Amino acid sequence: MLDGLLALLPAELAALIRALPASVLNGLEEIRVRQDRPLEIGHAGGFAYVTPAGTVTTDPAGGWRPDAGLCARLLERITNHSLYAMEEELRRGYVTVAGGHRIGLAGRTVLEGGAVRGLRDIGAFNIRIARETRGASARLLPHIADRVRRSVLSTLIVAPPQQGKTTMLRDIIRSVSYGDWPMPEARSWPARKVGVVDERSEIAACVRGVPAFDVGPRTDVLDACPKAEGMMMLLRSMSPELLAVDEIGRPEDAEAIREAAHAGVPVIATAHANDLEDARGRTTIRRLIDEGAFAAVVELRRRGADIAFRVVRPGPAAREPTRKAGGAGAC
Amino acid sequence: MLKLAGAMLVLVSGTLIGFRQAARYADRTAQIRDLLHALQRLETEIGFGHTPLPEALGRAATGAAEPVAAIFIRTAERLRADGASVRDALRATVAEVWPRTAMREPERAALTRLGDALGISDREDQIRHLRLAAALLAAEEAGARDEQIRYGKMWRSLGFMAALLVVILML
Repeated sequence: MLDGLLALLPAELAALIRALPASVLNGLEEIRVRQDRPLEIGHAGGFAYVTPAGTVTTDPAGGWRPDAGLCARLLERITNHSLYAMEEELRRGYVTVAGGHRIGLAGRTVLEGGAVRGLRDIGAFNIRIARETRGASARLLPHIADRVRRSVLSTLIVAPPQQGKTTMLRDIIRSVSYGDWPMPEARSWPARKVGVVDERSEIAACVRGVPAFDVGPRTDVLDACPKAEGMMMLLRSMSPELLAVDEIGRPEDAEAIREAAHAGVPVIATAHANDLEDARGRTTIRRLIDEGAFAAVVELRRRGADIAFRVVRPGPAAREPTRKAGGAGAC
Repeated sequence: MLKLAGAMLVLVSGTLIGFRQAARYADRTAQIRDLLHALQRLETEIGFGHTPLPEALGRAATGAAEPVAAIFIRTAERLRADGASVRDALRATVAEVWPRTAMREPERAALTRLGDALGISDREDQIRHLRLAAALLAAEEAGARDEQIRYGKMWRSLGFMAALLVVILML
């Protein structure tokens, strides 16, 4: 997984990363490249700078500093020499490369009529390494299983960035699509058709329409499609038994989720938020929760290499969590 | 007898040299036109198709004749293989392919200048650079056609005439 990413980086940067100790490489989460400033890596929840010798240090002065030329080459390579074809990505501020790794960009914004049209003079890159953790959802699935319909409940997964939302979502999709139910009573439950709207190409990491991650045999992926529109398209065309989307938050997303609820299709969605209370602070999400669009809300926290979770069942009318289940359990 | 054979040999080779020189003029015009058409296809791919550059270069090469097609195909191969920047890939390809073409310095300059900008800016900017290169090449093509008419004919007769002169001097 890492080899594919390193092949995309300029040679000297790739060589430095390869030279890192194996213990650091295995837990590598982010590579942060900032022009003329020390190269930073995020690993195992912490951060460090990379020295020119390929070791890690916490002293910024000892870090290797990428220059303007390296940044220009990095940008050229991650955009496949085609910045002109990346206008939408530049407007959003990130590029997803083969393998599902998301590269966030920062630079000088270009405005048009007050709205951000794109980025130029890009001088900072945040390379987030996508990892596939099979079995990540095994302990969560029993808590969000719908025992009447022998499927999963509509679930909202909330967590701050980098807590494993997408990893968890991907593994739920995989399990449901394979019919790989971890509960003993669910042995006879069938595998379900899953429709995935992968706006950021992070869940399935499609390369020319074919998922690079194992998202299961019964999964259809709409790649790089706006979520709201994508959910409606899948509902109409692919008859999904479960819909999965990443990072909801816009009003039109809520409309599509309601539509899915009317069609009797459960939706598993993720949202950026610290916890349920925090998520309620966002109008769209609060409305959805209050309307009962989600039967369960899951809060995630990274505990070292594991993902701990807490399941809350908000209920349509209740403002406060009515039942706490699961507690903190590493999975 | 031997003298006659030698004279014939001189005449034939002189004529061939003349024709070869004339053909270079014709080739230059044809190759610049090829390059222009390829750039037009590239503009369509970039402007309307949003095609990634390595693929766009490959498509631009279809329809172009050999030495010009090679410039695009080899550049695309370089981009795919070692991930060199467009600027370096195009420069290296031009250095490699140019001796096989009949084109001259101004065309080379227009192409390398385009390579400095290709792929690293937004669509409108790309189109501007492509059009600028095309305008430069169109001017060169007009000049090349003029030269082809003027010197092409001259070289064809000059080769034979010069050979004839040598034969007369030898005899």
